[in-house]
Amino acid sequence: MTKPVELPQGTLEMLILKAVSLGPLHGYGILLRIQQISGERLEILQGSFYTAIYRLESRGWIKGEWSVSENNRRARFYSLTAAGTRQLKAETAKWIDMAAVVASILDKKADEI
Amino acid sequence: MSLLAAIRKLWHSVAPRTHGDVEEEFRSTLDAYQEDLIRQGLPEEEARRKARIDLGQPAAQNEIYRAAIGLRLFDELGGDLRYGLRALRRNPGFAAVAVLSLALGIGATTAMFSLIYAVLLHPFPYAGADRIMNPHFILAQHPDVFQWFTLSEAQLDDLRLAAPVDSVLGFTNGHLEITNDGLPEDISGVYLTENAETFLGVRPLFGRMIEPFDAGHPVVVLNYRFWQRRFGGDPHVIGRTLEMDHAPYMIVGVMPRRFAFNDIAGVGDVYLPASLMRAVANGPAPSYLPWIKLRPHVTVAAANGALEPIVREIMKIHSVASLAWHLGLQPIIVPYQQDLGRTLALLLAGVVLLLIIGCANCSILLLARGRTRQHELAIRTAIGASRWRIVRQLLVEALVISCTGAVLGVAASYWLARLPLLLSPDSFPAESVIRINASVLAFSVALALLCGILFGLAPALRLSRNDPARALPGRQAGVVAAPARRRWSVLIAAQVALTLLLMATAGTAIRGFLRLTQIPLGYDPANVMQLGISLHVDNPAEWSRLQSREARAAYIEQIREKIASVPRVSTVAVGVDATPPGADVQSSFIVDGSGDGEPPQARVMLVGQRYFAALRIPLLQGRVWSTDENSSGDFIAVVNRAFATRYLSSSNALGRQLRIPALPFQNRFTASSAQSTAWRQIIGVVGDARNDGIGRPVVPAIYLPYTTLMRQYVEFFVRTQGDPLTYLHSIRAAVASVASDQQISNGAFTLNEAIEHDAQYSRQRLFSILFGVFSAMALGLALVGIFSVVAYSVAQRTTEFGVRLALGAPRTKVLWVATRIALVSAAAGIVIGLAFDSFLGAVLAHWMQSAFAAGSLFAAAALLALSALLACLLPARHAIGVPPAEALRYE
Repeated sequence: MTKPVELPQGTLEMLILKAVSLGPLHGYGILLRIQQISGERLEILQGSFYTAIYRLESRGWIKGEWSVSENNRRARFYSLTAAGTRQLKAETAKWIDMAAVVASILDKKADEI
Repeated sequence: MSLLAAIRKLWHSVAPRTHGDVEEEFRSTLDAYQEDLIRQGLPEEEARRKARIDLGQPAAQNEIYRAAIGLRLFDELGGDLRYGLRALRRNPGFAAVAVLSLALGIGATTAMFSLIYAVLLHPFPYAGADRIMNPHFILAQHPDVFQWFTLSEAQLDDLRLAAPVDSVLGFTNGHLEITNDGLPEDISGVYLTENAETFLGVRPLFGRMIEPFDAGHPVVVLNYRFWQRRFGGDPHVIGRTLEMDHAPYMIVGVMPRRFAFNDIAGVGDVYLPASLMRAVANGPAPSYLPWIKLRPHVTVAAANGALEPIVREIMKIHSVASLAWHLGLQPIIVPYQQDLGRTLALLLAGVVLLLIIGCANCSILLLARGRTRQHELAIRTAIGASRWRIVRQLLVEALVISCTGAVLGVAASYWLARLPLLLSPDSFPAESVIRINASVLAFSVALALLCGILFGLAPALRLSRNDPARALPGRQAGVVAAPARRRWSVLIAAQVALTLLLMATAGTAIRGFLRLTQIPLGYDPANVMQLGISLHVDNPAEWSRLQSREARAAYIEQIREKIASVPRVSTVAVGVDATPPGADVQSSFIVDGSGDGEPPQARVMLVGQRYFAALRIPLLQGRVWSTDENSSGDFIAVVNRAFATRYLSSSNALGRQLRIPALPFQNRFTASSAQSTAWRQIIGVVGDARNDGIGRPVVPAIYLPYTTLMRQYVEFFVRTQGDPLTYLHSIRAAVASVASDQQISNGAFTLNEAIEHDAQYSRQRLFSILFGVFSAMALGLALVGIFSVVAYSVAQRTTEFGVRLALGAPRTKVLWVATRIALVSAAAGIVIGLAFDSFLGAVLAHWMQSAFAAGSLFAAAALLALSALLACLLPARHAIGVPPAEALRYE
């Protein structure tokens, strides 16, 4: 098993938006999906997870609706709103940009500068 | 959308889900996680435990939720609030005193604000009231005398064409009589040009206002009060007929309560189209007082400049044309601002002082109580509360007090604001309505917050600065910390000084008022009533009978005799606009042998020869005119002493000549005697009776027989034995025996009532009552402050006093120790207050228009000192009542 990765501040929310963008999910499902996509490398703290969900919902980026889950239990399913879609796009672009810049700096060898 | 739904929607956008939602979701996650764990092979019990440990308590989830969406501060403040309310409930005495101190101040201040709002900021119900102007002539010779002028309908049209003018309203008042049922009632009608609806822009309560298509139609719109009085507020009155002067009028509208058009010429009972005035009066074209509404953004100066040439053209034929004058447009609010601004400013200053005293009181109480809370606060600090957190807690508690006080205060202000109107009804615009509206509420909320912070901050900062290490172990430290004492002293001194200021002001106001009531009037108002009659100028048949001066004089004399024949009526005299102590315009006159230059001014009073006897104005020299001279009206005059001293000082007044060229007052209803402007011989000098308001010196006056210039109305002065108003019924009968349809105008009043309506009299009475109330409240607050400081410190220092007494300290010494700080600060406050008052005395004297009296200042100081001493000693006697053994057991 590969080493777990610690998430930088604020990225959890972006990951939740991404997970939800693939299709409506309930809270626990989002958690599982993120862990599954990351290849079980992300250890997400339950406390901060729900804080993030609540914040996203109150900002209007995701919206929750009560429905019945795959094992016949009432659960709150989240889906992306239009504002959430825009936000995800913007965040993704920002993240890729930043990652590229940081990586290019870190890749430099002494003689290249 | 209803308000409730709007709030719900707003709340939903802040907090999109309910507690139940949060908890249910959390439970479903908990269950799903637990099942996962079981699937991974954990035993069920173990899985539930692990799920709980990893996810936490369902109950705690709501807190996480609220923190996540940013409601944490809100929740904490809510906690502070609940805690504050609990703390207040635990200390009901403290809470009641603190809340009440503020309620008094906030209530009084809110009341004054709503009064100022109603009277000065928003007194009129008209659309664009700030653009409505009252045009005057301002004479170059007398720039302070504003003279109204009237215009014909064509002239109003000329004005309407001027560039800065939006619209022009013309109005004129007339007397009407209701004739369709039993009692003839004389009412006042206002004829309005038919653009009244758009010009005034006031929505009627029922029906409609006068509209352009009403021209020539006998329609009538009712004033609210008249509607209430005459029709008992019947909403189905529209369409019914009101018979006035034997002609039917259809009622088309009822105006709302606020509409009391207008203050200048008299509030109308009914409003009629101006075209009816034309139809009634067969004489010359009627003329109207104009109100000019300017276009938006036109300055008064620009409008004056633009309108003056037009008015000059119009006025070529007017008597004023020969004098130098210029046009002055005056916003309709200005007279009230001039008259009331100062009164209200002074009252506002009074209530603000009261509010500050109330705040100081709360500070004192909080500081005093803080000593008992030091232990609690120390514990909070010790377990990690930051200083900011404690300050916040204490401030929230202060705000709880101030907001509770504000709620009570606003409720009280609803009645308080009416008090000045009740005490001095004539000084306020009839149309200003006092009510609690959004501005007033916003004002009081702001005031409550300000007060809470003002009085809460100092104690909060002081109490939060304590060292738990010192405060915790030694609960019974025995001696009150010095800084708290210092703050008390300052607050008490300030409170006492301000109280003294209020008391001295009240003393001055009361003295001024007493002086007014004792002022020699120069006449005897007791048991004299004034009642007026109007001749039926609008009834052509009757008018033609009374049009001549002689017929009118005979008719009036006949009525006078009938009234005089009523048993126990001692004297009846005729007068026109001669009610003392009233102030009226002055006329210029010429006295024989005077040179050129500005003609002197005197008040011209048109009276019958019995006027002096009826009012008991003494005759000093010469004689009063005879009955024959009275019916001729010419060649004679009587003057008052002020006239004789001012204008005839060099020689004997009797036999001198004077004439009044400006006497004929052009009005189609007036009839003057042949020689009314000719030379008149002074045949008598009478004593000075107040004629320029009660507080002002008597101005020179000339008395002429009323028959020299007869108008369409006269007044009778009736001296009776006992209360004159009880004679009204028999007097009515006496008048009716002369002419059955001759009605007495509404509003017969005694001369004592006339004094009460005098502007200065009613203002002084207002000041003395309100400042008396303010200072009594302030005194009460200050005493409560002193009392509670001493009571608290005595309660805390029980041990110390017990020890002192046990060691043999004399009781007087212990008493001194217990009361020293409070006594010294109160004394300091009195000294500061005295110094402050003597400094402010001159300013106050100017504002109150009466001398600031040193006597009342010292009386107030003595009263204050005495009550402060009592407030100290009352709680302090517990200090010497402590049995030493019991006190020591506290240790």
